[in-house]
Amino acid sequence: MATDAPDEKQRPCVVLLDGDVVARHVLAEYLRECGYQVVEAATSEELIAVLEYGTPAVDTVLFDLEAPGAPRGFALRNHLRDTYPHIDIIPAGSTAVAAREAEDLCEEGPQLQRPYHSQLVLARIRRMKGRAGLKGAEVKRTTETAAYFSA
Amino acid sequence: MSQASTPVARTVLVVEDEPLLRLVLSDLLRARGITVVEAASAGEALDLLAAGVEADLIFTDVRMPGPIDGLELSRRVRATCPDLPVVVTSGHLESSLVDPGVAFLRKPYLPADAVSAILAIMERR
Repeated sequence: MATDAPDEKQRPCVVLLDGDVVARHVLAEYLRECGYQVVEAATSEELIAVLEYGTPAVDTVLFDLEAPGAPRGFALRNHLRDTYPHIDIIPAGSTAVAAREAEDLCEEGPQLQRPYHSQLVLARIRRMKGRAGLKGAEVKRTTETAAYFSA
Repeated sequence: MSQASTPVARTVLVVEDEPLLRLVLSDLLRARGITVVEAASAGEALDLLAAGVEADLIFTDVRMPGPIDGLELSRRVRATCPDLPVVVTSGHLESSLVDPGVAFLRKPYLPADAVSAILAIMERR
C-alpha cells in the first residue's frame, strides 16, 4: 500500500466512488500506487460533497454506476458532466470494468505505468471478499454492505 | 512534532461518515507518512478488518449510519484484538462511557489535534 509523498497536492486527483468498501479499498490502493491522490466516496452524496468542497482539485471521477445515493447511475453521470465539465467522468458498470479503467488511468498517470495488471486487482478483491466471508465470488456488491447505507 | 519522528509503515483505519472530515484527517495523516484506510461506517470498517486489512490504530466516530456505531465497533475490535489502539471521537458522548483502554477525543476537534493524538499513541507503542 502506498503512502502519500510530500508532493501529494501536486498529484492528479481521482475521486473513487464505490459502495463496496472492499472493491473501493483495493482500487484506491492501486491508483495511489500509480501516483494519484485518491479521495474515497461511499455514496454519490459523499462524492458531490467532495466536489463542492473544491479541495483537493479533482481531475477525474471514477464511479460505480450502482453505487448508492442520489443521484445515481447515469443520472449521476449526467449531473457531473453538466456541473463539472472540466472533470473527466468515468462510469463503470462492474468492478471488472472499474479495474480496467483504473489500469488505463495508471498508464496515463504520473508514473506512466501500471504497477500490476488489473486482473491482479480483481483477484485481490475476490480473495479479500472470500476471506471476509462476503458474497463476493462474482465481485458484486454485497447485500450486507448495501444494508449499511440504507439503514 | 518533527517529520523525522513520524512512525513509518503504520496504518490507521479512519472510520468517519462525514466525508470532508474524513478527507481532511486522512490527508493530514498521509502527509505524515501514515497509510490510511478509509471507512464510511462501522460496518465498512468491520468488512475491511474481516477482509484482512491490518490496522495499527483505529480512529472512529460514534454516530454513523448503519446498525453498528463506533462504540460497538471499538468493543468488537477490542474483544478480538485487545492490544489494538482505538480512538473514539464524539460530540454527544461522555468520555466515561468509553470502554477502559479506549482513547477518547471530543468533537469538535482540530484535525491537527487528532493527528497529534494518533501519532502520540502510535509512538508509545
